[in-house]
Parts: sequence; C-alpha cells; structure tokens
Amino acid sequence: MITRVTQRAVTQTSLQGLYGNLRAVNKLQQQLSSGKVISMPSDDPTGTNKALLTRQALSGNAQQTRNITDGQNLLATTDSTLQSMVTGVQKVRDLTVQALNGGALDAASLQDIATQVTGLRQTLLGAANTVAQGRPVFGGITSGSTAYDTNGKYVGVGDGTNPATAVNRRVSDVEAIRADITGPEAFGSPTSGKDLFAVTANIAADVGDTAKLRGDLSDLDAVLQKMTTALADVGTRAARMDAAAQVNSTQQLNLTSVQSQTEDIDVAKTIMNLQVQQNAYQAALSATAKSITPSLVDFLQ
Amino acid sequence: MSTFSGLNTAGTALWAAQRAMDVTGQNVANANTDGYSRQRVDLQSVAAGAVPAMWSTGQQVGQGVNADQVTRIRDAFLQVQAQGSHSSVASLTVQDGTLTAVQQAFQEPGSNGIQAQLSSFWAGFGDIANHPADSGARSQLLERAQTLAAGIRSTNGSLDQQWGQTRDSLQALLTDANATAASIAGLNQEIKAATQTGLSTNELADKRDQLIMKLSEQIGASSVDMGDGTLNVVVGGTTLVAGGTALGMELTGPNDSRGTASAPLVIQTRPGGTPLRVGGTADGDLTSMTSIIPGYQKQLDGIAQQLATQVNAAHQTGYDQDGNAGGKFFTDGAGGGTAVTAANLTVALTSTRQVAAATVDPASAGGTLQPDGTWSAVSSDSNLADTLFQQRLLGTGADATYNSMITGLGVQATATSTTLSAQSVISTNVDAAVESTSGVNLDEEMTNMLQFQHGYAAAGKLVSTINQMLDDLMNMVQ
Repeated sequence: MITRVTQRAVTQTSLQGLYGNLRAVNKLQQQLSSGKVISMPSDDPTGTNKALLTRQALSGNAQQTRNITDGQNLLATTDSTLQSMVTGVQKVRDLTVQALNGGALDAASLQDIATQVTGLRQTLLGAANTVAQGRPVFGGITSGSTAYDTNGKYVGVGDGTNPATAVNRRVSDVEAIRADITGPEAFGSPTSGKDLFAVTANIAADVGDTAKLRGDLSDLDAVLQKMTTALADVGTRAARMDAAAQVNSTQQLNLTSVQSQTEDIDVAKTIMNLQVQQNAYQAALSATAKSITPSLVDFLQ
Repeated sequence: MSTFSGLNTAGTALWAAQRAMDVTGQNVANANTDGYSRQRVDLQSVAAGAVPAMWSTGQQVGQGVNADQVTRIRDAFLQVQAQGSHSSVASLTVQDGTLTAVQQAFQEPGSNGIQAQLSSFWAGFGDIANHPADSGARSQLLERAQTLAAGIRSTNGSLDQQWGQTRDSLQALLTDANATAASIAGLNQEIKAATQTGLSTNELADKRDQLIMKLSEQIGASSVDMGDGTLNVVVGGTTLVAGGTALGMELTGPNDSRGTASAPLVIQTRPGGTPLRVGGTADGDLTSMTSIIPGYQKQLDGIAQQLATQVNAAHQTGYDQDGNAGGKFFTDGAGGGTAVTAANLTVALTSTRQVAAATVDPASAGGTLQPDGTWSAVSSDSNLADTLFQQRLLGTGADATYNSMITGLGVQATATSTTLSAQSVISTNVDAAVESTSGVNLDEEMTNMLQFQHGYAAAGKLVSTINQMLDDLMNMVQ
C-alpha cells in the first residue's frame, strides 16, 4: 500500500489508464472501419486457422463449381448428340426393314434405300465427330480433332489396342464424375467389325440381299441397344452432376457464412462496444481533469 | 550562559528556515523534472557543550539548530527493481514489435497472402484438368506459379529486411549505450571527488540514476552501490562500469539472417571479448535476430521445399503437351530440386507446353515416336492435373504446414503481447512506487513552506524580543 502519493504519480497512472482506454477505442474503430475482426493472426490464432481453412475450401469450391458447369455442358452435348443419333439409327432400321419386307420393290427403289442409308450414315458420322470445348466428345483422350475418320474408322483413344481413359470432372474433394463416353462404348467396338458405321455401311451394300440384310438388321439392333444404354449412362451421370451442383452451391453458402462469422465483425455489437468504450474514455478524461488540477496552491491566500 | 547566546540560537533558526525554504524552492522547481529525487533538510538540534569548560557553572540549554545536511530521498531497492522491470519491458516491446512485423510480412488472413496464392495455384491445375489443351489455362497456371514463387521469395525478403534493420538498430543502440556507460563512469568520478570534499552530490546522483535507468532499458544493466559514492554497473554478471572506468561493447557475428544458423550473434566487451548476457532492448533485438526471424524463415524454407518436392514428384510422373515426360516444376534456381529455400524457389517451366497434365503416355494414346524425336499423337488426358489439384488437401502438404505456421505465429504473438502488457503493469506499479518515494508532492511542499515561514517569523520575533530585552538591560544602566 502506497501511502504517499505525488502529483506526478497521479499523472502517470492517469495517463496509463487513458492510454488503455484510447487503445481499446482505437481497436474497435479499426475493426469497424475494416469490417474485420481478424486483421492479424495474433488477433485470434484459432480464428485465423479457421479463416485460412475456410478460404482454402472456398477456393477449391469455386474451382469445383467451374468443373461442374464444364462437365454439365459436356454431358449435355453428348446427350443431345446421342439422342439425335438414336433417331437417325432408327430411320436406318426403318429403311432396312422396308428393304427386307419389300419383295415387290423394284431395283430403283432398293437403290434409293441404299442411297438414303448411305446419306444417313454420313449424318451419323458427322454427329459422332461432334466437337465440344475443342475436342471430339466421342474421341476419348485423343489429341486429334475427330473421333472417326471419313471412312467411319475409329481414330480416337480407346479402340481396344489402346485402353480408354476416363475424362473426369472433379465435383467435390472426394468425388470425380466421368464426363465423356468414347465412340466404341457408345457405338460398338470397331475391332469386332460391327460398330455403327461398319453395320450401316454393310446395310447400304447389302440392300437387295435379304439373307445378309437380316444379319445386318440384328447387328444394327445390337448397336441400337448399345446406344440406348450409353444414353442412359450419360443421363445418369448428368443427374449425378446436377446433384453435385446442388451440394456444391449449398457448401459454398455454408463456407461463406462460416468465413463471415469468423472474419467479419458483428456490427451492432461492435458499435455498442465502441459506445461503451467511448463513455468509459470520456469518464476517465473528466476524472483525470478533475484530479490533476487542484493542489494546496489553489487554496493558499 | 552568555548574554547573547539567545540571539545566536535565533540566528541558527533563521538560517535553518531559510535553507529549508531554499530546498522547498528546489523541490517545487523540479516537481516535474524527470529523474529528480526530492530533497529534505535534515534539521538537527545543536546540543549544549557536553563537556563544560573549566569553572563553568549552571545548566546550559541547546545552541540552536543545524541545517547543513540536505539528503536525497531515494529507495535503492526500488531503484534496482525498477531497473529490472524496465529491462524486461524493453526486451518484450522489441519482441512484440518484431512479431507484429513478421505478421505484417505474411499478410494473413487475406487475399494477398501466400495461402491465397497457393489456393489459386492449385485451382490453376483444376482449370487445366478441364481443358488440358487450352493454352490459356496453361499460361494461367504458369503465371500463378510465378506469383506464388515470387510471393514466397518476397515474404522471405521482407523478413531479411526486418533482420537487417534490427541489426542496424542494435548497432546504433550499442554505440549510444557505450557513450552512456562512459558518462556514468565520468559521473562516478565527479561524485567520488565531491563526496570527499564534502560537497552536495544530490543532482549528480540523480543524473547518474537516470543514465543507469536508460542503460537498463537498453542493455539490461543493474547498479551495485560500492559505498564510496560510486555505483558499479553490471550487465548479466559482468561489470561494465567499475568506478571511473567503463568497458565498451561491440556486436560480432553474421551480417545476414541465414548466417545465424552457423555462427552466433554475440554482444561482447571491448576490450576483453567477454560475451555479455544482455537484457533490455538489446536482448529483444538479439532474440528477434537469432530466434524469431530465422525461425519463421526456416519454416518458410521448409514450406518452399515441401511445395517443390510434392509438386515435382507428381509432375515428373506425367507427360506434357508434347508427349515428353514431365520435368521439375519448381527448382532452386540452379536446376536442383533438393536445395530449394524460400529465397530461391523458382518456376522451372519456361513454356506452357511443358506443363504435364496427362498420366497416359503418348504410346498408349496411339502415338508413335517420329525420327525427329516428336510424337505423332499425344493423349489429352488430364488426370495428373486433377491429382495436382487435389494436393491442396494433403494433410502433410505445403498448405497444411503453412496454416499451422501462421497459427503458431498468431499464438506466439498473442503470448508475447500478453506478457508485455502484464510486465508493463508491473513496471508502471514499480515506477509509481519509486515516484511515491522520491517524487515531489506539491501539497507537502506547500505545508512545508508554511511551516518554515512560521518558523522564520517566530525566529524573527525571538530576535526582536531579545533585542528589546537587551534594550531594557542597557537602559537600566543610565
């Protein structure tokens, strides 16, 4: 217990108190003007760690959003192409059936059918070389610009000698969804000699030869079966992609709100605190002004 | 008893009151002077002669008052305590400042820090995974890698700069401290001489105490009273100032932060070369330069090395856009991948085509090696880019290590600043205690003033009364 107190000691302790008050006011003002609770790791080490992790997760999440959009586009293109191709193949089938049943058809009509099938085959070939994002969607991981050459030969990667490699899109930290389907997977294996383009070429050649055409028709049915399976596969993956998009955006909302809770100030609370602190500071100022002024000198006549 | 002794007694009283008033004046004048210790006149009654002269008779009364001694009110124990607390506050203030500067160098959490740069670097691989053949995505990745490497290098650079500034300021501080120590030695001599001749040394002693306090803040000095009026100044057990002689101090050791790993940074006496265990600001500077700054630089080196190792290891398993096996992504600037530090982390790739995104080799993608060494076809696989994108999640990867370093930095800075504020409170309390012992209280001086004024008036009255008495005595003889 200090019994003797001097004016300078009072000044010093008063100053110490005033500094403390002003420091608190300054800190709150800094928080209000920056809008951030954490401006340095030392403001809140655990909060900083959380902030760093959240920022990291947000960055990954933003990239995954891009990946998902990209994958959705790719799958949508594949899906619509496959659908239009299935329609085309069904037309070929109709023509084939017509040629089979048309014992009464004359040679000119048969020739007409063969020409139509050849034309449809060209259209199908064009569709099979559909390009999305600069790459043929049915070409696997080929660096070339087409999946099939002009003769209908598969030139992409994944033709049996070179195994197919999936083209994936990373949709979350733990999940990647395949975003492509190769030509052989969709239209039949070229090595068996019975893929879509071989079969349609056969049909065009075999019009008129009922026995051969019958074999071609069953081959075409197998190809059609394969294509509808591929369509279902692509649709399922598109649905997974959509679900992943939902999860992704929910996650983004959560992360943003966590980041805000960790880094941003509670404005109402901070303003209240500032007000309280300002009151305390003013009280300290007025008390200091009162305690420092008088000494015995003031009362000596 | 002499007829006139009463006058003499009153005379001493007048003189004592005057002297007391002088001292009061000095106190009031220095009420706000830094380092001033209040002074007090030691009033002592003058006794009558204890050994009476031969044949003298009668009981004598005292001979008045003696006011020769003016003492300085000082508590030596509090003084030493204040020196110690000022020393630790000074050391902690420097450490706190260094940690703040280190935190500013890292700029976390924020969108300009290394963490943000790492994240956008990994995201660059994500874009390549989507579009492996897109040169835009590839050059974006290379730009981001350059930014990341430059970010790590410049953070390391600002720590280097911080280290250099600290060394410069310590050098300047030692020059100043040497001058201060020499002044203390000079004052020791003056005070010793003045004490021997019986002169007042109060103001000189105040000056010396102030210098020693400054030295405590600078290098953690404490004082030892030698009894003959001189004070020895001791730094970490080594006597720096003994009586009238002072040793110099010099800083020896490496000139840059990386040198501290092999050679220690030492403050030693000159002459003598005795290493000093300093305190105060010098201790804070030394701690910053030998432990805080190099510590974080070392961790940053580790992160740079880890980044290079993990990215290179994955990158080298893949194939670039020309079908060639992936090379080193990051190097130490000279082509090596094992001596990477935060100071030399460099992106080795020079062309966007060199980014290896594919795990599938060109032969498996139907390519054949041409006579000119190029491949007829390459794969546009991008699974390696995805693998690299996923590296941001590695529990032992650069990101995780960086996060834990930043958290550690925050914890250390918080701990230091908490210790600093606690120590500051202690120091303020000790200062207040010193002030309450040695400081001038104006109320007290005013009451003293009144007291001595009355004393003076009373003594004056005594003189005039004795004068009247003598007058009466003289008139009797007419």
